[in-house]
Amino acid sequence: MTTTEPILQLDHLVKQFPIKAGVLRRTVGQVHAVSDVSLDLFGEETLGVVGESGCGKTTLGRTLLRLIEPTSGTITFQGRDITHIGKAEMRAVRRDLQIVFQDPYASLNPRMSVREIVGEPLRIQGVDKGETRERVAEMLQAVGLLPEHGNRYPHEFSGGQRQRIGIARAITVHPKVLILDEPVSALDVSIQAQVLNLLEDLQERFELSMIFIAHDLSVVRHISDRVAVMYLGRVVELASRDTLYDAPAHPYTHSLLSAVPVPDPRAERTRQRIVLQGDVPSPASPPPGCHFHTRCPLATERCRTEVPLLVPIDGDTLHQVACHYPLQAGETLLERVSQVAVTR
Amino acid sequence: MSEPDAPLLEVSNLSVTFRTDAGPVRAVTELSMVVHAGETLAIVGESGSGKSVTALAIMRLHPKSATITGSITFEGGELLTLSDREMRHVRGNGIAMIFQDPMTALNPVFTIGDQIVEMIRAHRQTPKAMAWKQAAELLELVGVPEPARRAKQYPHEFSGGMRQRAMIAMAIANSPRVIIADEPTTALDVTIQAQVMEVIAAAQRETGAAVILITHDLGLVAGAGDRVQVMYGSRLFETGGLDDVFYRSANPYTKALLSSIPTLGSRAADRLTPIPGNPPSLLRPLPGCPFEPRCSWAIDICGEAMPDLRVVADGHSSRCHRADEVSVSGVDPHSATTASVPIAAGMPAHVAMPVSPVPEVLG
Repeated sequence: MTTTEPILQLDHLVKQFPIKAGVLRRTVGQVHAVSDVSLDLFGEETLGVVGESGCGKTTLGRTLLRLIEPTSGTITFQGRDITHIGKAEMRAVRRDLQIVFQDPYASLNPRMSVREIVGEPLRIQGVDKGETRERVAEMLQAVGLLPEHGNRYPHEFSGGQRQRIGIARAITVHPKVLILDEPVSALDVSIQAQVLNLLEDLQERFELSMIFIAHDLSVVRHISDRVAVMYLGRVVELASRDTLYDAPAHPYTHSLLSAVPVPDPRAERTRQRIVLQGDVPSPASPPPGCHFHTRCPLATERCRTEVPLLVPIDGDTLHQVACHYPLQAGETLLERVSQVAVTR
Repeated sequence: MSEPDAPLLEVSNLSVTFRTDAGPVRAVTELSMVVHAGETLAIVGESGSGKSVTALAIMRLHPKSATITGSITFEGGELLTLSDREMRHVRGNGIAMIFQDPMTALNPVFTIGDQIVEMIRAHRQTPKAMAWKQAAELLELVGVPEPARRAKQYPHEFSGGMRQRAMIAMAIANSPRVIIADEPTTALDVTIQAQVMEVIAAAQRETGAAVILITHDLGLVAGAGDRVQVMYGSRLFETGGLDDVFYRSANPYTKALLSSIPTLGSRAADRLTPIPGNPPSLLRPLPGCPFEPRCSWAIDICGEAMPDLRVVADGHSSRCHRADEVSVSGVDPHSATTASVPIAAGMPAHVAMPVSPVPEVLG
């Protein structure tokens, strides 16, 4: 299973997008998409990254492949700093770092046959034609398609099959790390399970390390070994899957989990749901201090001024939280809220 | 209003057919359903199952290329034979709709207040100043902060969740008897989704309206529905009370759907049980049951004859030749299905529909 050496390390990664305005297109502000994110991906593990829209999870995925250049921070792949290496070198590194995109309709070139699509990464890597043909057939089979599907074009396939093509394209160069950006959210419910199972099979067969980016907490729980929760560009909690879902420490994680509807009427009837007030603030002007303080029922003056760091809880280095007042194991946010109300 | 037990809305034998370049596509086939005052009926299905077209047909907002047969009665009166003018009176006043995407459903060049006021004054002779006051009250009811100021803003100045609240305010402006919510939270984040679902529930309590909740999310149904209708391949596949459908389902599709989705509660190491294959093409309907190619319960007759919707218990019906057997097999929706399902790998590619008239209409 997972190794103890990180295969990919992000150290204080920052990505800001300039906001330009006026005739001269002067920079008038910054969108803080990713703010100071440090994460390790271990060999053959699946790291889930969850968060709501605008939390920076997609930018994070693209930045660590350098499809978007980071503003600052470092990306280390297998012990080597790849943050500033040149284009040709980066191309060689991408053989080991591949990505599957969210929209299977937009991410496949409609004018290319499936064989050309799946074989393109091999062509870029300079693999000869005969081997490419063989490898493409093998990959199509690995993702549950038939070799003869190679002659067809994307429009002839359903959403689920297109996502299989996207996955085949990503693994055809035998990468070590696969970034999956919302790989099942565009698919029908009955098709999602097929693709999730496929990803699990491929991970085992090709010894892949995966970063699984999604907004669906149920899907992330299913597939991940560890999970990072992002809010407005920062990682607010990082823990092993079961710890995160059974004993979340950050008030945001807690309320996010309580907001997810579960397909079980009895559970829904007895559930205590915490409905967060307000919207996610704009990443162009994130609030000072803890980014979550504007919606947090526990926020104090300290939260409004002092940025909480992502630190281990009770010496458990596997469980890290960025909160001044983390919840204890087994404590619910509602209990804490009522406690706070009494003492105030 | 007629007698107290009479349904508010009754759909009988509704079929909706679209003319397309590739031939006729039947998006809804012989659908019957009733909605009672104050209840929430959830219609669940995947894309192309016919759930949204049903809603559009009830509102008579379907495109001209569609032909409708059957009957839709509201408070005892037939809707399909009403003139356009009479229908306009029903829309918004008797039956209102909340659309999936508030950005396209709201007019970008008018303020939110203008649009709510227009909605009120379309049905009531209310002086403008009074209507503006009502608009602010409605916005307050749906949880828009500073309603008087926000009413003067344009849709682009609202966040997604706030836009959806504004849509709900418009929908309930004239206290409709039925609110149709078509995927009302699909475009929203979960924490905002929870807020919007609460607002819909509050609006329902406030107005006593019946809600038809159209969604693909079984979790939302479990939280909000009283009764459930499951649609597949343009037909009603199962209908019953919430617990009937979730805990005592008599339909293989419903069962397979429930066991294919990962849930927060399920032990994560469990492998998912996927439904093999793809949803059916409406262009080339099968002679038998549309779910037959994907069904682990299928027997010979399933490929030959369309099963009828049969009653398995009071208020609980299922479209399946083996409904009685299916209903007694296993109670827990999260336990694995009894029969082993062939793995999806290597399934022949059902070539996707070249044109998809239905989603475009819904756009």
